[in-house]
Amino acid sequence: MKETIQIIDNQSGQLVDAEIFDEVALAHFIETQAEWRPVVLEAARALSKSPNQATLIPRHYHWDWTRKEAELKMLALKFYGLSCEERLQGIMKVETVARSCRLPEQQGKPLVYIDYIETAPWNIKQLMVPLGKAQQYRGVGSRLFEAAVLQSVEEDFKGRLGLHSLPGSEGFYIRECGMTPVGRDPHKQNLLWCEFTPEQARRYLAGE
Amino acid sequence: MNPKRTMTLNLTDQEMVVLEELSVQKDLSKTALLRQALRMYQLVDARISRGEKLFFEDHEKQKAELMVL
Repeated sequence: MKETIQIIDNQSGQLVDAEIFDEVALAHFIETQAEWRPVVLEAARALSKSPNQATLIPRHYHWDWTRKEAELKMLALKFYGLSCEERLQGIMKVETVARSCRLPEQQGKPLVYIDYIETAPWNIKQLMVPLGKAQQYRGVGSRLFEAAVLQSVEEDFKGRLGLHSLPGSEGFYIRECGMTPVGRDPHKQNLLWCEFTPEQARRYLAGE
Repeated sequence: MNPKRTMTLNLTDQEMVVLEELSVQKDLSKTALLRQALRMYQLVDARISRGEKLFFEDHEKQKAELMVL
Protein backbone atom coordinates (compact mmCIF):
# COMPACT_ATOMS: atom_id res chain seq x y z
CA MET A 1 0.00 0.00 0.00
CA LYS A 2 1.26 3.45 -0.92
CA GLU A 3 -1.00 6.49 -1.03
CA THR A 4 -0.52 10.17 -1.60
CA ILE A 5 -1.78 12.25 1.30
CA GLN A 6 -1.16 15.82 2.39
CA ILE A 7 0.64 17.41 5.29
CA ILE A 8 1.32 21.07 6.05
CA ASP A 9 4.55 22.88 5.30
CA ASN A 10 4.98 24.86 8.51
CA GLN A 11 6.93 27.69 6.86
CA SER A 12 4.44 28.48 4.10
CA GLY A 13 1.31 27.08 5.73
CA GLN A 14 0.57 25.32 2.43
CA LEU A 15 -0.51 21.73 1.97
CA VAL A 16 2.17 19.56 0.38
CA ASP A 17 2.00 16.03 -1.01
CA ALA A 18 3.48 13.22 1.02
CA GLU A 19 3.32 9.44 0.82
CA ILE A 20 2.05 7.03 3.41
CA PHE A 21 3.04 3.39 2.96
CA ASP A 22 3.02 0.08 4.79
CA GLU A 23 6.02 -1.52 3.09
CA VAL A 24 8.39 -0.40 5.80
CA ALA A 25 11.83 -1.96 5.59
CA LEU A 26 14.99 -2.12 7.65
CA ALA A 27 16.35 0.84 5.67
CA HIS A 28 13.62 3.03 7.18
CA PHE A 29 14.54 1.90 10.70
CA ILE A 30 18.19 2.70 9.98
CA GLU A 31 17.13 6.13 8.70
CA THR A 32 15.46 6.88 12.06
CA GLN A 33 18.62 5.91 13.90
CA ALA A 34 21.00 7.75 11.59
CA GLU A 35 19.03 10.95 10.98
CA TRP A 36 16.44 11.31 13.72
CA ARG A 37 18.12 10.05 16.86
CA PRO A 38 21.09 12.50 16.86
CA VAL A 39 18.64 15.43 16.56
CA VAL A 40 16.38 14.06 19.32
CA LEU A 41 19.38 13.62 21.61
CA GLU A 42 20.71 17.09 20.82
CA ALA A 43 17.32 18.60 21.65
CA ALA A 44 17.01 16.52 24.82
CA ARG A 45 20.47 17.71 25.91
CA ALA A 46 19.51 21.34 25.28
CA LEU A 47 16.24 20.95 27.18
CA SER A 48 17.93 19.25 30.13
CA LYS A 49 20.12 22.34 30.69
CA SER A 50 17.07 24.46 31.43
CA PRO A 51 15.31 23.33 34.65
CA ASN A 52 11.93 24.75 33.62
CA GLN A 53 12.07 22.93 30.29
CA ALA A 54 13.26 19.55 31.55
CA THR A 55 9.70 18.23 31.51
CA LEU A 56 9.65 18.75 27.74
CA ILE A 57 12.41 16.17 27.20
CA PRO A 58 10.84 13.57 24.91
CA ARG A 59 10.22 10.25 26.63
CA HIS A 60 11.03 8.42 23.39
CA TYR A 61 14.60 9.72 23.01
CA HIS A 62 15.99 6.20 23.49
CA TRP A 63 13.75 4.36 20.99
CA ASP A 64 15.61 2.17 18.51
CA TRP A 65 13.47 1.02 15.60
CA THR A 66 16.22 -1.22 14.18
CA ARG A 67 15.52 -3.65 17.04
CA LYS A 68 12.15 -4.33 15.45
CA GLU A 69 13.56 -5.82 12.23
CA ALA A 70 12.35 -9.35 13.06
CA GLU A 71 8.83 -8.01 13.54
CA LEU A 72 8.57 -6.86 9.92
CA LYS A 73 7.52 -10.37 8.85
CA MET A 74 4.78 -10.77 11.44
CA LEU A 75 1.20 -10.58 10.15
CA ALA A 76 0.07 -9.49 13.62
CA LEU A 77 2.22 -6.38 13.46
CA LYS A 78 2.04 -3.67 10.88
CA PHE A 79 4.34 -0.76 10.21
CA TYR A 80 3.52 2.48 8.46
CA GLY A 81 5.89 5.12 7.19
CA LEU A 82 5.23 8.64 5.98
CA SER A 83 7.69 10.33 3.65
CA CYS A 84 7.91 13.73 2.04
CA GLU A 85 10.62 14.99 -0.29
CA GLU A 86 12.17 11.53 -0.08
CA ARG A 87 12.77 11.84 3.66
CA LEU A 88 11.06 9.78 6.31
CA GLN A 89 8.84 12.12 8.35
CA GLY A 90 7.07 9.66 10.62
CA ILE A 91 6.78 5.98 11.45
CA MET A 92 4.27 3.85 13.35
CA LYS A 93 3.89 0.28 14.57
CA VAL A 94 0.45 -1.17 15.22
CA GLU A 95 -0.67 -4.53 16.57
CA THR A 96 -3.76 -6.15 15.06
CA VAL A 97 -3.99 -9.25 17.26
CA ALA A 98 -4.55 -10.07 20.93
CA ARG A 99 -5.48 -6.58 22.05
CA SER A 100 -8.95 -5.87 23.33
CA CYS A 101 -11.11 -2.97 24.40
CA ARG A 102 -11.39 -1.86 28.03
CA LEU A 103 -14.27 0.60 27.82
CA PRO A 104 -17.33 -1.10 29.41
CA GLU A 105 -19.50 -0.69 26.30
CA GLN A 106 -17.00 -2.53 24.09
CA GLN A 107 -14.99 -4.58 26.59
CA GLY A 108 -13.36 -7.68 25.11
CA LYS A 109 -13.83 -6.68 21.50
CA PRO A 110 -10.67 -6.59 19.37
CA LEU A 111 -8.97 -3.32 18.53
CA VAL A 112 -5.95 -2.03 16.68
CA TYR A 113 -3.27 -1.06 19.17
CA ILE A 114 -0.80 1.70 18.36
CA ASP A 115 2.37 0.39 19.96
CA TYR A 116 4.79 3.06 18.72
CA ILE A 117 4.28 6.24 16.76
CA GLU A 118 7.07 8.71 16.17
CA THR A 119 7.42 11.88 14.15
CA ALA A 120 10.78 13.06 12.82
CA PRO A 121 12.26 15.50 15.36
CA TRP A 122 12.28 18.41 12.88
CA ASN A 123 8.47 18.16 12.85
CA ILE A 124 8.17 18.61 16.63
CA LYS A 125 8.06 22.26 17.68
CA GLN A 126 9.11 21.56 21.29
CA LEU A 127 12.32 19.95 20.03
CA MET A 128 13.15 22.53 17.40
CA VAL A 129 12.74 25.62 19.62
CA PRO A 130 15.71 24.79 21.92
CA LEU A 131 17.82 24.16 18.81
CA GLY A 132 16.86 27.54 17.36
CA LYS A 133 15.15 25.99 14.36
CA ALA A 134 11.64 26.03 12.94
CA GLN A 135 9.31 23.06 12.77
CA GLN A 136 9.26 21.70 9.20
CA TYR A 137 5.93 19.92 8.71
CA ARG A 138 2.67 19.66 10.64
CA GLY A 139 0.10 16.88 10.52
CA VAL A 140 2.47 13.91 10.29
CA GLY A 141 1.26 12.30 13.54
CA SER A 142 -2.37 12.93 12.61
CA ARG A 143 -1.97 11.25 9.21
CA LEU A 144 -0.34 8.21 10.82
CA PHE A 145 -3.07 8.07 13.46
CA GLU A 146 -5.64 8.20 10.68
CA ALA A 147 -3.93 5.24 8.99
CA ALA A 148 -4.32 3.26 12.21
CA VAL A 149 -8.04 4.07 12.36
CA LEU A 150 -8.42 2.98 8.72
CA GLN A 151 -6.51 -0.21 9.53
CA SER A 152 -9.04 -0.89 12.29
CA VAL A 153 -11.88 -0.47 9.78
CA GLU A 154 -10.03 -2.75 7.34
CA GLU A 155 -9.67 -5.40 10.08
CA ASP A 156 -13.44 -5.27 10.68
CA PHE A 157 -12.77 -3.77 14.14
CA LYS A 158 -15.11 -0.88 13.17
CA GLY A 159 -12.51 1.76 14.03
CA ARG A 160 -11.88 0.51 17.57
CA LEU A 161 -8.39 1.64 18.54
CA GLY A 162 -6.30 1.80 21.70
CA LEU A 163 -2.96 3.12 22.85
CA HIS A 164 -0.89 3.99 25.88
CA SER A 165 -0.14 7.69 25.63
CA LEU A 166 3.17 9.18 26.64
CA PRO A 167 2.58 12.05 29.12
CA GLY A 168 3.38 14.75 26.58
CA SER A 169 0.90 13.39 24.04
CA GLU A 170 -2.20 12.96 26.22
CA GLY A 171 -3.67 16.30 25.14
CA PHE A 172 -3.22 15.42 21.47
CA TYR A 173 -5.05 12.11 21.75
CA ILE A 174 -7.85 13.35 24.00
CA ARG A 175 -8.53 16.84 22.68
CA GLU A 176 -7.39 16.69 19.06
CA CYS A 177 -8.24 13.08 18.22
CA GLY A 178 -11.24 12.76 20.54
CA MET A 179 -10.14 9.54 22.27
CA THR A 180 -11.58 8.52 25.63
CA PRO A 181 -9.04 8.45 28.48
CA VAL A 182 -9.90 5.15 30.19
CA GLY A 183 -7.35 5.14 33.00
CA ARG A 184 -3.73 4.72 34.05
CA ASP A 185 -2.24 1.29 33.37
CA PRO A 186 -0.02 0.08 36.24
CA HIS A 187 1.28 -2.69 33.97
CA LYS A 188 2.58 -0.15 31.42
CA GLN A 189 4.57 2.47 33.34
CA ASN A 190 1.29 3.98 34.54
CA LEU A 191 0.70 5.45 31.10
CA LEU A 192 -2.80 6.62 30.21
CA TRP A 193 -4.83 4.06 28.24
CA CYS A 194 -6.92 5.83 25.59
CA GLU A 195 -9.54 4.23 23.39
CA PHE A 196 -11.69 4.90 20.33
CA THR A 197 -15.21 3.52 19.93
CA PRO A 198 -16.61 2.98 16.41
CA GLU A 199 -18.60 6.21 16.75
CA GLN A 200 -15.52 8.21 17.81
CA ALA A 201 -13.57 6.72 14.91
CA ARG A 202 -16.34 7.60 12.48
CA ARG A 203 -16.37 11.19 13.74
CA TYR A 204 -12.56 11.41 13.47
CA LEU A 205 -12.52 10.13 9.90
CA ALA A 206 -15.36 12.48 8.97
CA GLY A 207 -13.40 15.39 10.40
CA GLU A 208 -16.22 16.28 12.82
CA MET B 1 -5.96 -1.35 0.87
CA ASN B 2 -3.75 -4.32 0.01
CA PRO B 3 -5.08 -6.76 -2.63
CA LYS B 4 -6.58 -9.99 -1.31
CA ARG B 5 -6.92 -13.48 -2.70
CA THR B 6 -9.91 -15.75 -2.25
CA MET B 7 -9.89 -19.35 -1.05
CA THR B 8 -12.54 -21.93 -0.21
CA LEU B 9 -12.50 -23.28 3.32
CA ASN B 10 -14.21 -26.53 4.27
CA LEU B 11 -15.31 -26.77 7.90
CA THR B 12 -17.29 -29.36 9.86
CA ASP B 13 -20.63 -28.33 11.34
CA GLN B 14 -19.04 -28.13 14.75
CA GLU B 15 -16.21 -25.92 13.50
CA MET B 16 -18.70 -23.68 11.74
CA VAL B 17 -20.78 -23.33 14.92
CA VAL B 18 -17.68 -22.25 16.87
CA LEU B 19 -16.69 -19.83 14.10
CA GLU B 20 -20.17 -18.30 14.11
CA GLU B 21 -20.27 -18.02 17.91
CA LEU B 22 -16.87 -16.34 18.06
CA SER B 23 -17.80 -14.00 15.19
CA VAL B 24 -20.81 -12.76 17.14
CA GLN B 25 -18.91 -12.56 20.43
CA LYS B 26 -16.04 -10.57 18.92
CA ASP B 27 -18.21 -8.53 16.53
CA LEU B 28 -16.12 -9.71 13.57
CA SER B 29 -16.91 -11.26 10.20
CA LYS B 30 -15.89 -14.91 9.81
CA THR B 31 -13.12 -13.88 7.42
CA ALA B 32 -11.76 -11.31 9.87
CA LEU B 33 -11.85 -13.86 12.68
CA LEU B 34 -9.91 -16.44 10.67
CA ARG B 35 -7.35 -13.81 9.68
CA GLN B 36 -6.93 -13.07 13.38
CA ALA B 37 -6.38 -16.76 14.06
CA LEU B 38 -3.71 -17.00 11.37
CA ARG B 39 -1.87 -13.97 12.67
CA MET B 40 -1.97 -15.23 16.23
CA TYR B 41 -0.72 -18.65 15.14
CA GLN B 42 2.23 -17.14 13.26
CA LEU B 43 3.09 -14.86 16.18
CA VAL B 44 2.99 -17.66 18.76
CA ASP B 45 4.87 -20.06 16.49
CA ALA B 46 7.64 -17.52 15.84
CA ARG B 47 8.14 -16.86 19.55
CA ILE B 48 8.12 -20.55 20.47
CA SER B 49 10.60 -21.23 17.66
CA ARG B 50 12.90 -18.70 19.35
CA GLY B 51 12.75 -20.79 22.52
CA GLU B 52 10.12 -18.75 24.36
CA LYS B 53 7.24 -20.38 26.27
CA LEU B 54 3.54 -19.60 26.37
CA PHE B 55 1.74 -19.70 29.72
CA PHE B 56 -1.81 -19.23 30.92
CA GLU B 57 -2.31 -17.92 34.45
CA ASP B 58 -5.49 -18.67 36.39
CA HIS B 59 -7.15 -16.50 39.05
CA GLU B 60 -4.95 -18.05 41.74
CA LYS B 61 -1.80 -17.11 39.79
CA GLN B 62 -1.12 -20.74 38.88
CA LYS B 63 0.71 -20.91 35.59
CA ALA B 64 0.20 -23.65 32.99
CA GLU B 65 2.42 -23.91 29.95
CA LEU B 66 0.59 -24.20 26.64
CA MET B 67 2.21 -26.57 24.19
CA VAL B 68 1.70 -25.45 20.60
CA LEU B 69 2.23 -27.83 17.69
